[in-house]
Amino acid sequence: MNILWENIVITIISFIVLYFLLQKFAFSKLFGIMEQRRELVMSQMNEAAQTRQQAAAYVEEQKKALEQARQDAHDIIERSRQTSNKQAEQILEQAKEEAVRLKSEAVRDIENEKKKAVEELRSELGSVSVKIASKLIEREVKNDKAQEELVDQYLKEVGGRP
Amino acid sequence: MHESPIIDLGGFRLDLSAVMMLLVTGIIVFVLVRLAVRNLSVENPSKLQNFMEWVVEFVQGVVASAMDLKKGKAYISLGLTLILFIFVANLLGLPFSVITDLPADFKVFGKTIEATVGLEPGHYAHVLWWKSPTADISVTAGLALVVFVLMNYLGLKLNRKHYLKHYIEPFPIFLPLNIIENLAKPIALAIRLYANIFAGEVLITVILKTGFFGIPFMAAWQGFSIFIGALQAFIFTILTMVYISQTTIHEEH
Repeated sequence: MNILWENIVITIISFIVLYFLLQKFAFSKLFGIMEQRRELVMSQMNEAAQTRQQAAAYVEEQKKALEQARQDAHDIIERSRQTSNKQAEQILEQAKEEAVRLKSEAVRDIENEKKKAVEELRSELGSVSVKIASKLIEREVKNDKAQEELVDQYLKEVGGRP
Repeated sequence: MHESPIIDLGGFRLDLSAVMMLLVTGIIVFVLVRLAVRNLSVENPSKLQNFMEWVVEFVQGVVASAMDLKKGKAYISLGLTLILFIFVANLLGLPFSVITDLPADFKVFGKTIEATVGLEPGHYAHVLWWKSPTADISVTAGLALVVFVLMNYLGLKLNRKHYLKHYIEPFPIFLPLNIIENLAKPIALAIRLYANIFAGEVLITVILKTGFFGIPFMAAWQGFSIFIGALQAFIFTILTMVYISQTTIHEEH
């Protein structure tokens, strides 16, 4: 084993030449590409993080909207229930009023009819009783006005009694 | 022992084998990396690009384990070149080696190979052409020298006060010890790498001599040699980073 200084020099030269050749023609490009890839990955990761954040915000928003919609629906149902209750009451009220009105009308009609009937009956009865009386006492009782009034008055008294 | 094909160029003894193997190593590394960075793509990397990026990330991890990655960014290229170069160099000698028996006064490019000078007729010099370049201590010494110069230069440039001060710490009398420590670093680097790879190749030669019985050992040893080659490349790189971080970065007390 002997050391040749010439070999040392040749090695140093060849190593330095190789270093600069590689540096110039290969490594700078490779490092550039690797740096670009690093940046790409970084930007993609940032983007992904952003997207995730957005998605989370969106979900939150949706949740809120859903909650709001549920609340609205609940309100609407509640309101409509109240309205329907009120309406039902109103209708019931109206129906009651109607019934009362109809009843009172009917009562009034009956009263009227009854009065009319009584009136008719009374006049009928007056004339019939006058006829009967005139038949019975044909001669004595004259069919004049004074006597008919008298009978009427009498009958009124009779009919007025309960 | 095999000889090196050395020719004398007017006082400069050129080792043709070392030159060739360094050239082959450099070309393989360069072509590999060039292929990996062809058609670079951010979103759809090719397999080779993926592999290269894995290597880069591995080296980044190595650098980050030695120093702050922000300061160490400039050394990633150095670490990559080192680890690829040494790994490829370590593997080159594994599949085969080329040895020629040369007669006396064999000439290459019109120059006589030194090992064949003065050989008697009928004798041959066993000249080793194809080997791991890192199985030559001169080559590993060259790499270690690069690291040594670089770490001291960076220490002086970036961290002068603390770098110089560390030579006389904890007491001025430790100066020689600290200088030896500093010098021991590249020597240890060079010898560790050389010895591992050289021993591996020697053992391959020895196993080859056992003939057919050696096949299972050969398989095991080849696999282990690949592991050693990767491990030594890794060790060389991480030690480089540790040394650089030692000289350039001073701990805040």
